[in-house]
Amino acid sequence: MFVDFFYTMKERGIPVTPTSFLRLQKAMNMGLVHSLDDFYTAARTILVKNERYFDTYDQIFAHHFKGVSFVDPTAVELNEIARAMLEEWLKDPEEMADALGIDKEKLKKMTPEELIKYFMDRLKEQTEAHHGGNKWIGTKGTSPTGHSGNHPGGMRVGGESKNHSAIKVAMERRYRDYSQEGPLTKFQMEEALKRLRRMAPTGPKDIVNVDKTIYETMRNAGEIEIIFDRRLKDRLKVILMIDNGGWSMDPYIDVVQTLFHYASSQFKDLKIYYFHNTIYSRVWADPQRLLKPEQVDDLIRRDPETRLIIVGDASMAPYELMHPNGAIYIDATPTGASIERLRFLAKTFRYAVWMNPMPSYEWDYARTTQAIRQIFPMFELTLDGLEKAVQHLTSLKK
Amino acid sequence: MSSEKKSSKFSGASKYVLDDELAEIVNVSMSLEMPLLLKGEPGTGKTMLAHAIAESLQMPLIILNVKSSMKLIEALYQYDTLTRLNDSRFGDSKRDVSNIEAYIKMGKIGQAFTADKRTILLIDEIDKADNDFQDDMLDVLDQMQFDIIEIDKTIKARHRPVIIITSNAKKDLSDPFLGRCNFHHIAFPNPDMMRMIVDVHFPNLDEEMVDVCISTFYHLRELRGVEKKPATRELINWIRALKSDPDFKPKMLRQGRVPFLGILFKKSADFYQAAQQIKARG
Repeated sequence: MFVDFFYTMKERGIPVTPTSFLRLQKAMNMGLVHSLDDFYTAARTILVKNERYFDTYDQIFAHHFKGVSFVDPTAVELNEIARAMLEEWLKDPEEMADALGIDKEKLKKMTPEELIKYFMDRLKEQTEAHHGGNKWIGTKGTSPTGHSGNHPGGMRVGGESKNHSAIKVAMERRYRDYSQEGPLTKFQMEEALKRLRRMAPTGPKDIVNVDKTIYETMRNAGEIEIIFDRRLKDRLKVILMIDNGGWSMDPYIDVVQTLFHYASSQFKDLKIYYFHNTIYSRVWADPQRLLKPEQVDDLIRRDPETRLIIVGDASMAPYELMHPNGAIYIDATPTGASIERLRFLAKTFRYAVWMNPMPSYEWDYARTTQAIRQIFPMFELTLDGLEKAVQHLTSLKK
Repeated sequence: MSSEKKSSKFSGASKYVLDDELAEIVNVSMSLEMPLLLKGEPGTGKTMLAHAIAESLQMPLIILNVKSSMKLIEALYQYDTLTRLNDSRFGDSKRDVSNIEAYIKMGKIGQAFTADKRTILLIDEIDKADNDFQDDMLDVLDQMQFDIIEIDKTIKARHRPVIIITSNAKKDLSDPFLGRCNFHHIAFPNPDMMRMIVDVHFPNLDEEMVDVCISTFYHLRELRGVEKKPATRELINWIRALKSDPDFKPKMLRQGRVPFLGILFKKSADFYQAAQQIKARG
């Protein structure tokens, strides 16, 4: 039963398993499903295991049981969105600029027609390729251009469901907001980086070591001798080096900031340095890169077990990286090519990774990125990338 | 056992407003004997649901609060070596030192398995533990039994507990884990639903107060640049605080003044952001 329904889900990219499908059959045989509404709920809870797919599920359900065609935004819908957007724009141009990611000044100069065209182009881009959630204007939860009637950030639920048939509920597509990847939040970073911790005994001795206690008790001719140990605590040392210069890093400020905030609240022993594009003889402890320079050579005195995380887009002019006098600062004393500095760092700190905020498919376009990849293992600055980086760091054996 | 199942259908509790969808999901999961995995924004009542089921079906509730350093065995049982050592030295207890079983204490999962009647087992914030813990635990819950290696004994569940698992993480749990659970995502309630929730918690609150609190609350959720938006839990606590303040008048909220902001925004950056924007709005 409902085999088609099942396969449509699979085709549309919901990871469904035969086991769960059989389970649904079991639920129906047990008489748990009395109506289409019940079926909607039961099938979803049993088959769909992530709220990301709820929206797709709603669409498939509506398609399957009512023949609603799969929606890529229709002309009418687009017009509707455009109209709503125009209104919003008249009310609050600034917020609009933020939402669309256009410069404020530029936006002011645009005519309504131009604006709508720009907007439509963005939207079409999205319907063609389903990646690049940052451009998906229509359903962006916080965007003032939110799809007509979709409450920003919230969804209709529950109380109303009595008056709605399952199909209607499914057609409302209440879970639209969840169908895109959310931004990397502090909490997610915490999840990923937690595993980096290196436990070492510190603090007061307040844990009983059973093996030693028994041994010592025996030695003591049966007179109990309790042996205490120190607790295991995280003693991880981290050096975070952030590329904070130049326009090329600007789009990633948010995500880097999140990483920064997380790191500074989480790791007890954290040093943060800044650089521009690549590393020459010095890095700076202050974000302006003026007051507190630190010689890269001095870093050799640090604990070699320190984890070094470099964040940067690794794309620059090749001579900046390769040429012995490539430093773009006038006062920088020539210390050899920057690439040598990077090799030096990689040699000093065995546990080192390079986090690149650019998507990995763009890495091949920059020669410098490729060069740096040969020195440091490079990962995308996304949740997945962070996890891989952490895995890499923890899998290294002494 | 099947007759028992039919009689026990979950339909809501005194302090929990349940929508039909969720009730159906809980009942399906109970009948299929599958753990139910609940996700959703913090403070939308994931944990409360387990309490509500326990209350409504009159079943004892056993809560396993997962911690990041937790090992599965701690959730199953503990072998109290120190007491045994002590007893063997002084021999003044009634326990039989040569009987190791006397020193085995059941952990939360063990308690749920050995209980006299069917229990609700709430496994709270599973995402805190690592993947191994999650997968191993699901093995135990799947087979409904585990071994105590010290005494070579298998503990089988006497009654299959109703298992509710909550997770805050956006990150996916592992596939084998998800494969063994039913899943539901608790969405943030809409204002009407929220009204019902507030009514349940504060039955005697006057209409105007409820109106103004809820509308202010949804307004505050829309402030820009806030990392942790206030959720149901924060709203309930906030109303409780407003109620107990003799100087508070609902009028104040209409005028754009928001007392006890710290109850709603708990991160200092968020608090500052919110205060700024409220002030700017005047």
